[in-house]
Amino acid sequence: MSVAATHRRELSVGAAYGALLVALALFAPAFYQRANLRDVLVGAAPVLVAAVGMTLVILARQIDISIGSQFAICAVVAGTLAKAGLAMPIAAAGALATGAALGALNGVLVAGFGLPAIVVTLATMVGLRETLRWVTEGVWVRDLPPGFQWMGLGQDAGRFAIPGLALLVWALVAWGMRHLAGGRAVYATGSNAEVARLTGVRPRRVVFGVFVAMGALTGLAALLSAIQFIDVQTNSGVGFELRVIAAVVVGGTSIAGGRGSLVGSLLGVLLLATAGPALTFLGSQAYWDRALQGLIILVAVAADAFGSATRLKARP
Amino acid sequence: MRNAALLALLLGAVACRGTGEHGKTIAMMPKNKGNPYFASCRTGAEEAAKELKVRLLWDGPTETDPAKQNEVVEAWITRGVDAIAVSVENKEAISTVLRKARARGIKVLTWDADTEPDARDYFVNQATPRGIAETLAGHAARLLGGKGSFAVITASLTAANQNEWLRQLRLVLAERYPDIKLVDVRPSDDDRKRAFEETQTLLKVHPEVKVVMAIASPAVPGAAEAVKQSGRTDVRVTGLGLPNDARPYLKDGVLDSAVLWNTKDLGYLTVQAANALAMGTLKPGVSSLTAGRLGAVKVEGDQVILGTPFTFTKDNVDQFNF
Amino acid sequence: MSYERGLALCLVLEIALFSIIGWNFFTPGNAGEIVRASAEIGLLALALTPVIVTGGIDLSVGSLLGLCAVVLGVAWRDAGWPLPAAAAAAIVAGVAGGGLNALLVARLGIPPLIVTLGTYSLFRGLAEGVTAGVKNYSDFPASFLFLGQGGVGAVPSQLLVLVAAAVGFWLMVHRMAAGRTLRAIGFSPDGARYAGVSVNRRLGAVYLLSGMCAGVAALLYVARLGQAKADAGTGFELMAITAVILGGTSIFGGRGSVGGTLLGLATLGVLQNGLRLADLPAELAGVVTAALLLAALGANRVFQGRDGT
Repeated sequence: MSVAATHRRELSVGAAYGALLVALALFAPAFYQRANLRDVLVGAAPVLVAAVGMTLVILARQIDISIGSQFAICAVVAGTLAKAGLAMPIAAAGALATGAALGALNGVLVAGFGLPAIVVTLATMVGLRETLRWVTEGVWVRDLPPGFQWMGLGQDAGRFAIPGLALLVWALVAWGMRHLAGGRAVYATGSNAEVARLTGVRPRRVVFGVFVAMGALTGLAALLSAIQFIDVQTNSGVGFELRVIAAVVVGGTSIAGGRGSLVGSLLGVLLLATAGPALTFLGSQAYWDRALQGLIILVAVAADAFGSATRLKARP
Repeated sequence: MRNAALLALLLGAVACRGTGEHGKTIAMMPKNKGNPYFASCRTGAEEAAKELKVRLLWDGPTETDPAKQNEVVEAWITRGVDAIAVSVENKEAISTVLRKARARGIKVLTWDADTEPDARDYFVNQATPRGIAETLAGHAARLLGGKGSFAVITASLTAANQNEWLRQLRLVLAERYPDIKLVDVRPSDDDRKRAFEETQTLLKVHPEVKVVMAIASPAVPGAAEAVKQSGRTDVRVTGLGLPNDARPYLKDGVLDSAVLWNTKDLGYLTVQAANALAMGTLKPGVSSLTAGRLGAVKVEGDQVILGTPFTFTKDNVDQFNF
Repeated sequence: MSYERGLALCLVLEIALFSIIGWNFFTPGNAGEIVRASAEIGLLALALTPVIVTGGIDLSVGSLLGLCAVVLGVAWRDAGWPLPAAAAAAIVAGVAGGGLNALLVARLGIPPLIVTLGTYSLFRGLAEGVTAGVKNYSDFPASFLFLGQGGVGAVPSQLLVLVAAAVGFWLMVHRMAAGRTLRAIGFSPDGARYAGVSVNRRLGAVYLLSGMCAGVAALLYVARLGQAKADAGTGFELMAITAVILGGTSIFGGRGSVGGTLLGLATLGVLQNGLRLADLPAELAGVVTAALLLAALGANRVFQGRDGT
């Protein structure tokens, strides 16, 4: 297969993104102010980090719709630890560890007990968020030490470091997926778990691993989001899982598992992160935002299916 | 084993039923439980409940779901309570079920946000929508020097309270400040991050906007942080928000003013009024209500008035903690 | 002991528990209220059962309910149509929405999770766009409101609609040939195709039905609350899916039961209502629901012995 064919999906997402950028250049060049580009990237950073994890999960033929709730909990943990006087690196580690633990919960239920991922993560999504609400009653975590915002790096360095770190994580995992056995194991497990097992891969371990990775990355995303502010909202991340899954799917990763790439996910994240503000720049009214975003997702996936010769009737 | 479980269950049930309270049972519902605004109202409500020795049931939707409020009220009707006090999310929807409660002899109050007048006995009002709009418009006008452009960050596009305030705001602008233009209204969905991002975009799409008005309490710190990070010292923020959220930005100067009322007192007054209603001391014709530590509170017709909207500024915000 | 028997036993225990700790729980009036509050989600859950049996899913039903509610309001109030015509328009909107899902899933072969994730945003977005979020249609005539608020004694008017739908779906899934083909599709779409089943048509049909039920549910919802607004039905899809899974239908498809869905629906309805009557906080409902869901999955594995990963 030619390069163009194997990467057809990434190319079409890239083309869509390119078209959006051209439209902005023509009709709303104000979008290209340096400050705006920076703000869009900083805003996209948490989504990118989580999308990396979600790509792994979906490649392994699983799904995780609980990351919004994990996000909220990890943010609260980071804030609470900082408020208790612990140093920021420890608070950050706490957030990541919490995420990993919550991911492990999903992993045990799915890989250990063999329960279907979509329903398990539906349960953890609801259970975790309602528990958090019950415990916190919606009261924000306030009066944090000044070192919390930007991890003490200051606004300019912070706004550079956040997307930089996200991109670094993306690059590391992308490299790992291509060159490490673990990466191939994820693809193998998602394509055909039985065959993978026969070639020496341990599908259960892989599945457990991707859920833990997803959780840890969600913790990181929550941290990157939380440190942009001086206090922590306790009910954050509502709808986060939808944004992340949409970005990954639009980027070409197949929900049937085994097919997709992190490059595609990056493009998907960029496309959707740009689409939001782009609509405002292009003069669209706020109340049409949701419809347009739904349309973007549908057009992206339909265009792909239209052009595709094979039909994938996959399971959820 | 089975018997032990049943016994434990029964004991638990008896414990849940409450032990020997002789006062009234008052059921109070916020618009949604996850909002710090309502959490602060609750502290006042519990204070009053303890003072009056009434049983306070505090429940409501955890997310803004229009149907859930109705279902909770239905449950309270079935359960049997003495008074119901609701902060209404959807005025038309809830009126049916509140009328039903009244028909069953339950006293009905609304607080914070009203429903149709014939569906409740009294409305505990902290400020009329018109009053709120006038105060907010006044701040915007002052900051703009009488003419210019401003934008609003609201809660969700369907939020009933905010939509009513916006409607009144547009009327006030048309009547009193024709040289001031409301450029855009963006939703925050009660998410601080979303308010932050919308404000960031707004500042660039409409560079002529010099005032950002955030009319949902999570939106105030979101909008203020966005303006602060943008470095646009020519833009000021005002809006409706809790003093604790507003404090750092008021001190910074980014946030000029935050309008609200004493939410603790609002919760406190609501329980006092509900109790008075259930006891029969609050009834048509009464023009004043003695509400515990608040003293004599004015009653105008079917409204119990807490007071007028209060503006928090950097000079007075330290006196408040909610 | 089958899964459904176990679930029915759980339901009985649940009712017993709430009869003790809940005020006035075990009364005919309250039972009527439970039915009334569950009717819309019940319709959605019934429609989702065949969808899930085919191995698919429909996340857009709640949003479609909102859109149909808005269509009702627009047709009646803005366009001035008589109410029955407006109601028909709402149902047609539901069918159209379901049709879009059907087209993308059955004809283009896009995975249902993705399609309905997109339509979940699209439908709600259209409702918000048309009303600018603000518009709220109310003041419906009493004859219409009777559909959602009236009844005979303690029996709510929604019961009739719910029973009719339950019977219809039960017949379709369990008694008609269509039901067998749906299970075949869920078990193996290619196998079904080779066996001569017109898979695309069947798949399309279940999504169309799902859309239609969203339209009918929208009518019940507007009648119950007395208002039609863009946020109608928010979160209903998750509750409906939970009811179906709780009822024992496998998310992988190939197997499912309408009776189970009804039991699952009842379990959830009783839980929400009972917790309120026992003065327990709303958050507990979410936590218990999550636990029930996990328990259901676990029990399902034990009873059916099916491999999940």
